[in-house]
Amino acid sequence: MNRIRKTALSAVLAAGASFGLAAPMQAEEIKFGLLQDFTAVYTFVTGEYNQGQRDYLTLINEEGGVEGHTFTAIVRDTGNQPQRGIEAYNRAKEEGAILFDFLSTPVSAAILDQANADQRVVITPAHGRGDASDGTVFPYIFPAMATYWAQAANLIDHIKQHDGGLDGKKIAIVHIDSPFGREPLPILDELAGQEGFEYRAFPYASPGNEQSAAWSEVRRYRPDHVLIWGAGGGQAVSVRTAIQNGIAPEQIYSVIWLAETDAANVGPQMTGVKRFEASASGTDHPIIQRIQEKVIEPGKGAGDAANVGTSYYNLGVATMAISVEAARLALEDGGPLTGETLKAGFERVADYDAEGLMPAVTFSEQDHQGGGAGRVSQWDGSAWVPVSDWHAAFPEIVRAEIEESAAHYGSGN
Amino acid sequence: MAYFLELLINGALTGLMYSLAALGFVLIYKSAGVPNLAQGAVVMTAAYVVWIMVSSGVPLWIAIPAGMAVMFAFGLVVERLLLRRMVGQPVIMVVMLTLGLEILLRGLVPGLLGSTPRSLDLGIGFAPVILGDVFINRTYLVGGTIALLLVGASLLFFRTRIGTKLRAVSDDHVSSWAVGISVERAIGISWGLAGVTAVVAGVLWGSAQGVDWTLSMLLFPAVAVVILGGIDSIPGVLVGGILVGVLGSVIPGYLDSYVGGGTRDVVTSLIILLTIMVRPYGIFGREDIERI
Repeated sequence: MNRIRKTALSAVLAAGASFGLAAPMQAEEIKFGLLQDFTAVYTFVTGEYNQGQRDYLTLINEEGGVEGHTFTAIVRDTGNQPQRGIEAYNRAKEEGAILFDFLSTPVSAAILDQANADQRVVITPAHGRGDASDGTVFPYIFPAMATYWAQAANLIDHIKQHDGGLDGKKIAIVHIDSPFGREPLPILDELAGQEGFEYRAFPYASPGNEQSAAWSEVRRYRPDHVLIWGAGGGQAVSVRTAIQNGIAPEQIYSVIWLAETDAANVGPQMTGVKRFEASASGTDHPIIQRIQEKVIEPGKGAGDAANVGTSYYNLGVATMAISVEAARLALEDGGPLTGETLKAGFERVADYDAEGLMPAVTFSEQDHQGGGAGRVSQWDGSAWVPVSDWHAAFPEIVRAEIEESAAHYGSGN
Repeated sequence: MAYFLELLINGALTGLMYSLAALGFVLIYKSAGVPNLAQGAVVMTAAYVVWIMVSSGVPLWIAIPAGMAVMFAFGLVVERLLLRRMVGQPVIMVVMLTLGLEILLRGLVPGLLGSTPRSLDLGIGFAPVILGDVFINRTYLVGGTIALLLVGASLLFFRTRIGTKLRAVSDDHVSSWAVGISVERAIGISWGLAGVTAVVAGVLWGSAQGVDWTLSMLLFPAVAVVILGGIDSIPGVLVGGILVGVLGSVIPGYLDSYVGGGTRDVVTSLIILLTIMVRPYGIFGREDIERI
């Protein structure tokens, strides 16, 4: 019951509260707006992700902040609704927030132009527009991690390097029928031509709770490898239905949205499934251990301690580690920290890997993705084990897609 | 041919599982005359109730009947606290009330109990039943069989003393009052029974996909099932479920990978639209003729 009470408390806070992570409000505090979807589509990730973000900011505050500046998280629920997101954005902006993370593609898309006009930084890790990686077109938007295009390229590269090569192979991509699900297809088109493999897309209806028709067809296609491109409960259904159709777990590769909760859902049969990851999971990392020591053990954590070290928790930590590093670099230049100086701070981040928690990222005025690196990990029955090194795969193809799409946006098409 | 058969059989079984969600809808409509738009969220709530017991160490064989008791009580409470206050109000207001309940449950329950997908393992196993080149999903086979049994039990229930009273209430509230039947109690029982069927639907779908808010989206196929089968017909739930499941499996199975997907929801929407236009009371629904 204690866990339920804690989760309930967390939900209540998330639903409406704006609260400081530092005890007394200080003049020099830096405010980040974590205005996310706690109650609708992204609920599979938001709880752990947001908890990781808040715990990391608490850690920084506990360690004295950045040059005396402490961080405050403004946390509100948008329910994945652009209208509520815009309202929450305007309120948080009035309260002084200079960086925002909506963890919702519809909300991020709705605010993108306004944030650029307001000169407020919006980070869109693992969601939002991939072409926002082009900083010349989207000056205040930072995907900050590998886009879905970079993720698809990384998974295909893993097959090429480690799982028998690509030439003459058949790859199925089984995806949710949404813009997110279709996003990797242009990259697969490019790579199929270049690397000599064949691929075919098998969509299934949202939210993916029933996929048997798609997988019956996949089985008859006889693919060598299968990419699954969905999120939430639909991912566990994909893995389960794939295995029921005779596809070995080792043949299955997932987008970033496959985590410990999905493994618990699928059970032991999940062992062998691979996925892309943009940050490491587990607690065996210096930052996570410091969070355990200085935030969790003193009882200052933002949620259930059992979530510390999960994939989505660590992803949230990584996003705030990058953001705090950008703030630190911006403050080095002196003067007040504003959206404009924070943007400049982001563009000065170079080879930053959050003490090994994530691949080294380097931003520039042109590249707001940070290089697009990641790696592949494999479920071993109890944890995600890395099976490749951090690297960016086919960066020229990914960059071409980013620039082409950004150019369309820039021209209003 | 094997591919067609596989789509047909798995589709029919899936449709039977949709029938489980639709059955509660019909039970309430038959007695109260109210389309319960909260039924998807009630299914989700029922799955969470069983999950919380199982995750607390209660054996599944106890958790399921205990969950039924909890959800029966939940149905009674909803009727007593919400529906009974709406007596005499326009039906549209009652419909809006159930919609409000749906939104409330969908936000509140995952918010309190955790929004990440939760595991509910029934121990059914992954291996499909293989007939030649036809793979039949074992979870759907079990779910479909249970749906058949539950729909059969519902038919028998309406032949019992309480069931007869419910039928009388569904025919005419005023006449039922006149002969001494407690209409309020009958409607409360129908809400309670809808809660019980929601446990079966929630547990089976929860084992197939995990327990999370998306279970509430079973409302959409359930609505298609009851519109096609007849909103006040229990046999209609069975036939409507099979048809919705088969059409939603076979058509996407042949079209989706060529047209880029999305045909299942189109099929479900068309079923709703065409049925309302061609046969508004569904295949087995009762056509009420009123003197005007």
